[in-house]
Amino acid sequence: MTLVVAEQPPSPIPAHRGDTAVEPSRSGWSRAWLKFCKHRLAFAGLMTLAAIGLGVVAGPRLLPYDPERIDFAAQNQSPSLAHPLGTDELGRDQLVRVLDGGRVSLSVALAAVAVAMTLGVTVGALAGWAGGALDNVLMRAVDIFYSIPGLLAAILLVSLVGPGFWTIVAALGFWRWMPAARLVRAGFLSVKEMDFVSAARALGAPERRLVLRHMLPSVLSPVVVTATLGMARAILAESALSFLGLGLQPPQATWGRMLYEAQTVVIHDGYWWRGFFPGLMIFLCILSVNFVGDGLRDVFDPRTVHRPQSD
Amino acid sequence: MRAYLLRRLLQAVPLLFGISVLLFVALQMTPGGPLAVAEDVQGRVTAEDLQRLRNRYGLDDPMYVQYLRWAGDLLRGDWGTSFDTGRPVLVTIAERVPTTLLLTGTAFLVTLILSIPIGLLAAVRQYSGFDYASTSVAFLGVSIPSFWFGLMLLYVFTFLLGWLPSVGLSDPRHDYTGWAAAGDLARHLVMPVAVLALVSTATNTRYVRAAMLDVIGHDYVRTARAKGLTEMAVVGKHAVKNGAIPVVTILALEIPDLFIGAVITESIFAIPGMGRLFVQSASLRDYPVLMGILMTASVLVIVSNLVADALYALLDPRIRYR
Repeated sequence: MTLVVAEQPPSPIPAHRGDTAVEPSRSGWSRAWLKFCKHRLAFAGLMTLAAIGLGVVAGPRLLPYDPERIDFAAQNQSPSLAHPLGTDELGRDQLVRVLDGGRVSLSVALAAVAVAMTLGVTVGALAGWAGGALDNVLMRAVDIFYSIPGLLAAILLVSLVGPGFWTIVAALGFWRWMPAARLVRAGFLSVKEMDFVSAARALGAPERRLVLRHMLPSVLSPVVVTATLGMARAILAESALSFLGLGLQPPQATWGRMLYEAQTVVIHDGYWWRGFFPGLMIFLCILSVNFVGDGLRDVFDPRTVHRPQSD
Repeated sequence: MRAYLLRRLLQAVPLLFGISVLLFVALQMTPGGPLAVAEDVQGRVTAEDLQRLRNRYGLDDPMYVQYLRWAGDLLRGDWGTSFDTGRPVLVTIAERVPTTLLLTGTAFLVTLILSIPIGLLAAVRQYSGFDYASTSVAFLGVSIPSFWFGLMLLYVFTFLLGWLPSVGLSDPRHDYTGWAAAGDLARHLVMPVAVLALVSTATNTRYVRAAMLDVIGHDYVRTARAKGLTEMAVVGKHAVKNGAIPVVTILALEIPDLFIGAVITESIFAIPGMGRLFVQSASLRDYPVLMGILMTASVLVIVSNLVADALYALLDPRIRYR
């Protein structure tokens, strides 16, 4: 089930080097944005994600149903005008549950990626900046974490500690920080001896400023790609945990939890809408995130610029 | 090459030591401890019973003593006993291995049979309708959550059509033998294998296509074309050999992913393999079994990395390892 995404580290050199002829007056980031918008699928993915984000935040407030309100007069209804995505065995409206659950699923995934990236960037920067024994120790830690299957570790931690928002965030985040750490470390190693860093050092910039203001920003663009694709993994992992019964506990809905509860009714009673729609949302999110990630890779990796068609 | 492999094997020793320490400490630090399940039914289990259990498994010893005891036993081939059943961990895991191997092995074969020809054809006919279709399907395939795909397959083929059985690997109502038993097993395997093979097939198709496109652009392929060879000979004899190198290594790296995917697949279809054992042991807090499975999975990751690197060196004479 793991979403295998090739984690080829793109060049740590920012995209705005080299192609200055296109839009000389704009900054690197706004040029990157323009280039991103030209990537039609990536743009469509971003718009889909924005729509889903808006839907899960605003939807539950606008709809006339409460995600946890029980209505025995409307049990197990298939999709209709009153309940576009049908209802469950307690008569709860599935549309509002899918939206409310999506808010939680996406929050968990976002928080997990934030944890993973913060940890990864810190470890990578520390290793790349310090070098020597500390670098060696930290990179061996990366090797160890890489060798333990992350989903198994997450299942283990959540089973033993007990499901809760921050448990799940931690369980997912602690096993996905290694790619960012490797990227940032590699970036630091190549950027450390570059002229602009030496120049800043010669001007007397303190080490702290050197790392935070000069080195870190110039190695972050591949991390953005990793973070985006990590979002797809996190959404998938969160729903997998919920699907195994290890997600946030009822009555709170999450996409994985809804699929978990739908298993028997879909197979034995044929209530397909119970499983179809939550899964469709997961699928749409992951697809969109993958498109956005692909687009970002094209934008940030100078090597793919001249052959946008191939993958 | 031999020196390189030997060095890599030696490097795996401290790595495995680190993994085992990390997992052991993580398990010990989780609140509750292994007896939390027993404590839940306090009415029937007295404090003396719990203390007797603690003494029996040495749970009151300092963490490093427990670790050294566990690691020492492991090295002597004793993986401990399951807290749940009291049976040896090694036996508990070993009897689940054939089922998981059958599932992952079949899925791996399906992946090979589908992804290699599709990826090849897509690369040879770049920008054709077939290329766009297979690339799009592959992109959709990597984004489909396997548990959703499995659930929808169950809805269509079990509920609507009634063609395929929904759980387990055999029909308990019949006592099939010979070919009938094989047919029964095959019918039970169709959906789990489809679910497990989907992601790896989609991923591999993209890799095969990319690897072939990379090779087809090289000068020696153009030379082969220029001397008048048929397209069949150009692709089949010249391009495929070099294109296969990255694909073979990727395949080796994907074996652990299949095993992790089996955790989900076995849960959907209630197949009694290692993945299900892991999920059950986690809910029962059966620490010895959990450590056994996690260590096995980690060894699998390390070995597949090693195999991938070794294959790369073996197949590509341009690569020399020191």
